Amino acid sequence: MDLFFLSLVIIILGGALPLSIGRRFAAMKTAAVAGIGAGCLLGCIDSGFKLSQTARFSASFDYLKTFSLLFQMDSLSAFFLVIIFAISFVATVYSYHYMNSPGKSFRTSVNYFFFSLLIVSMALVVTAGNMIAFMLSWEIMSLSSFFLVIYNYQTAENRRAGYLYLVFSHIGAMSILTAFGILYGYTGSFGFAGAGSITDTGKILIFIFAFIGFGSKAGVFPFHVWLPHAHPAAPSHISAVMSGVMIKVGVYGILRIYSILHFHTPLFGEMVLIAGMVSGILGVVYALGQSDLKRLLAYSSVENIGIILIGIGIGMIGVSSNQPVMAVLGFAGGLLHVMNHSLFKSLLFLGAGIVLQKTGTRSIEALGGLFKNMKISGATFLIGSLAICGLPPFNGFVGEFLIYLGGFKGVSLEKTSFALSLLGIVSLAVIGGLSLACFSRVVGIVFQGEPRSPAAVGRDEKGPTMLISMLVPAAFCILIGVFPQVFIRSAVKAVSSLELGYGRIPLEPFMEMTGNITRAAMLFLAVLFLVLALRTFLYRNKPVSRSGTWGCGFTQPTVKMQYTGSSYAASILDFFRPVAPRLEDHPLIRGRFPQKTHYRSSIHDIAELHMGNLIIRPILFLFERLHWIQHGDIHLYIGYILLAIIVLLFFV
Amino acid sequence: MIHPIDTALSLVILSALFSFASSRLPGLIKVLAFQGVAVSLVPLFIGHEMTSGGVSFTLTTMIIRGVIIPLSIYLVIKKVAIRREVEPIIGYHASLLAGLVLIVAATYGSHKFNIPSSTHPLLLPSAITLLITGIFLLMTRRNAIAMVLGYIMMENGIYLVGTTFSVRAHHIVEFGILLDVLAGVMIMAIILQNIKQTFDDVDTAHLRTLKE
Repeated sequence: MDLFFLSLVIIILGGALPLSIGRRFAAMKTAAVAGIGAGCLLGCIDSGFKLSQTARFSASFDYLKTFSLLFQMDSLSAFFLVIIFAISFVATVYSYHYMNSPGKSFRTSVNYFFFSLLIVSMALVVTAGNMIAFMLSWEIMSLSSFFLVIYNYQTAENRRAGYLYLVFSHIGAMSILTAFGILYGYTGSFGFAGAGSITDTGKILIFIFAFIGFGSKAGVFPFHVWLPHAHPAAPSHISAVMSGVMIKVGVYGILRIYSILHFHTPLFGEMVLIAGMVSGILGVVYALGQSDLKRLLAYSSVENIGIILIGIGIGMIGVSSNQPVMAVLGFAGGLLHVMNHSLFKSLLFLGAGIVLQKTGTRSIEALGGLFKNMKISGATFLIGSLAICGLPPFNGFVGEFLIYLGGFKGVSLEKTSFALSLLGIVSLAVIGGLSLACFSRVVGIVFQGEPRSPAAVGRDEKGPTMLISMLVPAAFCILIGVFPQVFIRSAVKAVSSLELGYGRIPLEPFMEMTGNITRAAMLFLAVLFLVLALRTFLYRNKPVSRSGTWGCGFTQPTVKMQYTGSSYAASILDFFRPVAPRLEDHPLIRGRFPQKTHYRSSIHDIAELHMGNLIIRPILFLFERLHWIQHGDIHLYIGYILLAIIVLLFFV
Repeated sequence: MIHPIDTALSLVILSALFSFASSRLPGLIKVLAFQGVAVSLVPLFIGHEMTSGGVSFTLTTMIIRGVIIPLSIYLVIKKVAIRREVEPIIGYHASLLAGLVLIVAATYGSHKFNIPSSTHPLLLPSAITLLITGIFLLMTRRNAIAMVLGYIMMENGIYLVGTTFSVRAHHIVEFGILLDVLAGVMIMAIILQNIKQTFDDVDTAHLRTLKE
């Protein structure tokens, strides 16, 4: 048996075993972490090896003679597999100390079971070689992640999030099924092979439906509504896997459909690019307005999917206008950002998880000053934040810079492609700036300053596996940033399986450019650290008085005098008011001796706001009208069954 | 000379007609037991070669169909129901007339299925008749036990259809279905007791109140 399937079997065993020993908490956790972790590690090494070898491999199973399940791996699949297994491994290790409630022993074991199913199904989705294998794994992925989301099912909010997720994932699956149905109608086979030879209208229809379906999984605006609800509801290591990896499977689907259709119209590129720009900018704007730490990170995932789609869109435009360098830069940048985002987003979610576990709150405004006692978490969170803002010398910069370069190649094109490439560059810059504001806000409010509520006072960071599993992705964030060559090369190798037929594209000049900027940034950091060291050295024996942050020289400062996250973001959000309406609750202060007052603000997501009015209300109205069908009379229900049988027998 | 299958099948159809007109539960159960025996006899004469295993399977089927299921239902009504009426939605005479129409329709409809001519010509029409009669009883009788009986009659029909398209593993499949029905009858007995406890009656019209 191939190592790939062996690793999947190990993961499944690691997930199933805890179910039988659910009562003994520590043993159950150890078994689960060991099994799932070992399987992920094996899978990661194996797929990394296959990625470097460009070895193709396929396996097929026949089920009931009619449905054959085909799995095959090319370099694109291997690229995604490396990410899936690596991040799942980190999350599994993290969970050992994160899942620390022995009272919920059985529930934790069920959680591990579905977690293993999720990993396996994601791995199967990216290796699926025909429609049946794809849809089967896709559904297992959606359902297992649904059960992971409702882990804390006692809270009504989480149940609602789970329901929303279930509805959205099935609307998405329906859309993908429609695309596959059209494809089947043309080719008459469940394979993807014949898709290149169907008519243009068919290809466009298939791509649009597939884009909606995969986009709703990836969290593309306006299909992202489920994402900021579902990701925070799950336990943090699950959020890390969902936000870091699972939504990337949607990106994989878009790339795969694009590659099998083999239809190089500018329309696809424009569609993907515009969707990317919209979700990128709106995602970060909404992220900036959140006060819930995990919700903020979830919106930031929408933003990063936007960046990835901008890269892919630029790549597609490059293909359609015969610009091989632009195409490869766009695709490679997008893919590299897939890898980068999975690293730093899971890192940030794990960091948010440790904050949540130690303080018991997700509200940014209730935290503060955590850096004093949580050095490792704070430092890794800072690294993740810097990386997600796309600053050199971290990994986020490398991917985004490739996309920038691809966009600049497109400036030499004509008309629409020119305008869109330019818009893509501009929106990338806007996204970068806004995400800098967003994450400086998070780090500044959560980790700096003074504790804003008793929840944040005097917290330690115990739990070695949690710390280790945050240090690993942080180390990779720096590693990819400083030595990007091998990672860029593997992304380019993944692009090669899109079968664009370009041969070898010289990317060395671009790597050189990236390297120079990274070196400059490292120089800057080195100078910074040098100055810091000098300062410590020079002030060695001198008295230094310390006072609270934001104390501003008052004799009796209170923590309420500190800058808040909302006030930091308010001026930026004012500009985006048309797309991000703000709801404020603030009674006016009157009289000489004012009463106690409060201020509360929240940002509305327009997609969520209009979804209720435009879609849900008409549907509810329609079904209210059809309510008479459900009358409660058992005899007429049997009549319905009879009617259905007759119709099926004689008219179909 | 009259073929034994013809005799058995006419008895089956006759029992279906009887069931349309029977107003009381014990009578309906007896009709059903009779029908079960008649239906179980059919495979013995259909002309497949019979192994001793096949014969014993058929006999077991006959015992379950003709004795065990009717008996257990009879015990349930002894235990639960006060009213022995089947409480029709459509009256007995109208039901009878509808039954005649249904038999004609079933005979007509059975030609739509292109089955090999080697099988007995009466087999499929009577099977479909039983199926439709079962659904008819399910739809037009308000008493829950009468509905259970309708369901079992449908199962008899399915058994006949199964003999029509008989395959090698015929007995095993049939036995599986029978076990399902047996389990179904047990479950219905329990549900019936619950309905009885809740509504003090087994009239399914009461279930309407459970609607949201």
